[in-house]
Amino acid sequence: MTRALPFAAALIAGALLLAAPAHAQNDPVVAQARAGGLVGEQADGYLGFAPGAQISADLRGRVDQINIQRRALYTRRAAERNVSVNEMAAAVACEVFQRRIAVGERYRAENGQWRQHTASQPVVMPSFCPS
Amino acid sequence: MRMRAHMLSGLGAAIAAAGCIPVQIQAPDEPIEINLNVNIRQEVIVRLERDAEELLENNSDLFGGPAR
Repeated sequence: MTRALPFAAALIAGALLLAAPAHAQNDPVVAQARAGGLVGEQADGYLGFAPGAQISADLRGRVDQINIQRRALYTRRAAERNVSVNEMAAAVACEVFQRRIAVGERYRAENGQWRQHTASQPVVMPSFCPS
Repeated sequence: MRMRAHMLSGLGAAIAAAGCIPVQIQAPDEPIEINLNVNIRQEVIVRLERDAEELLENNSDLFGGPAR
């Protein structure tokens, strides 16, 4: 019984570790900033800061971290597909603009202008996206 | 007859002269905006659609969940 305990503990720990990626959530601080219109998706495939928004150092760090990881992701896949990093990022931006900008969120369109996704105003897709 | 020949050559000279009018090209006052997206080939974006979908689905920590 006492011998089986460490084994069971290791098993549980292992199961928790395995389960962790499935529980990976959007950073709640970033999620809140997106909902509040401080941070938004950009047509270049990265997150950006809305003009005039008061961005805390903490939030900036979190967003920068996401963008660094996105860039690493784009770079790796671009190399595998023999395309430029910008093209891989743009392809992801098309998907993000199509299905990852919630109503109420702000985003930066292809022309550099910030817009808001509302019930009456759908997300304006970048021109390079397949229709 | 001679009069007509004169008129025709006059017309020809006028056309030739018109061709020689120097075209003035003015430099724009504002710098020309270079759009980054010129470098993005749409056929490449189409080809990458599957990859983009997959990256989104497998990296919800970077792109948020699908139920948006």
